[in-house]
Amino acid sequence: MQNKDMDKQDTEILALLKDYPMPQAPTGFYDQALVRATHEGSRRQRNRWLMTGFGGAVAAGLVLWMVGGFFLTAPDLPVADPAIPSITMTLEEPRTINLVFASAERLDSAMLTVRLPSGVEMSGFPGQREVTWQTSLNAGKNFLPLKLIATSPVGGEVYATLTHDNRGRTFRLTVDVS
Amino acid sequence: MSTQQQQIAFEKLVRPHFDRLYRLAWRLTGQKAEAEDLFQELLIKAYGKLDDLVKIDEPGSWLSRIMYNLFIDERRRFARRRMHTVEEGEMSGDGLDGLPGSDNPAWNHERLERMQKLDSALSALSDEHRMIVLLHDTEGYKLTEIQELIGIPVGTVKSRLHRARARLREILAADGTFS
Repeated sequence: MQNKDMDKQDTEILALLKDYPMPQAPTGFYDQALVRATHEGSRRQRNRWLMTGFGGAVAAGLVLWMVGGFFLTAPDLPVADPAIPSITMTLEEPRTINLVFASAERLDSAMLTVRLPSGVEMSGFPGQREVTWQTSLNAGKNFLPLKLIATSPVGGEVYATLTHDNRGRTFRLTVDVS
Repeated sequence: MSTQQQQIAFEKLVRPHFDRLYRLAWRLTGQKAEAEDLFQELLIKAYGKLDDLVKIDEPGSWLSRIMYNLFIDERRRFARRRMHTVEEGEMSGDGLDGLPGSDNPAWNHERLERMQKLDSALSALSDEHRMIVLLHDTEGYKLTEIQELIGIPVGTVKSRLHRARARLREILAADGTFS
């Protein structure tokens, strides 16, 4: 490639980069962050995620459609799903599942709680049966990879509960261990 | 100092740097939720170090470094806990929401398309390269500021910047972005 072309392209790249947009902080975010830091700092209450770390990168794992397009438009929870999805795991062998949440609208500050049976752990959270964190969902489909490890051959059911403004849904996944 | 005095002193020291820190958080994480989380964690940490903060000559740089270190220390965590949008594909989307428009729909469309391609190209870079190119070319950080922030020699910053731009050029040329 000619140097002249490269120079021209570099100029275009710089122009694009200078133009690259940056959303502003939402109104009130700074004030809220200050209040949290000064009043609740020691309690480590965070703006978004209450628990940290989630297992694994997105692998070509099982995708579980946890919520339909009607997500959170129904008034209450939980709704028992007659067809509970299931997976079979190998003992001590991590497996990534992708939880998929379809939301009709953007949801800020939704709470997601994952409850695990005694023989299944979430990677990074050894021994924890319940993990809760706060998150936001975009309109459309959102997915979250969870890396699970079966620590006993018992298996059981994994529950994922998503709540927002006193509405929510609980979804179940049966884990069999081979 | 009373608690209230501490809070007032803290706010006075940190608030002038909020916009720049928020943008830095965005450039580091590339995701709105993570950026806000990182920003919040910075404030919590900084408040715990108020005794040090009041003695700092340049609180902005000090806060930036803490934020960067927080990000590096917990990068794996930040990367892991993202909830992705399925449709986002190669682009985060969030960063383009605030794209200011013009009265010309055709021009807007073209601009958005080019931004999407840039977004996609940026996501193909390594974290280090993306960070440096965004801080330098988008945010206007000087090489020495990046050196101070990241803790690598200016020469390394320069070479990474050069490689990042070269890679961007390569990707954008391949997808026909250039006029």
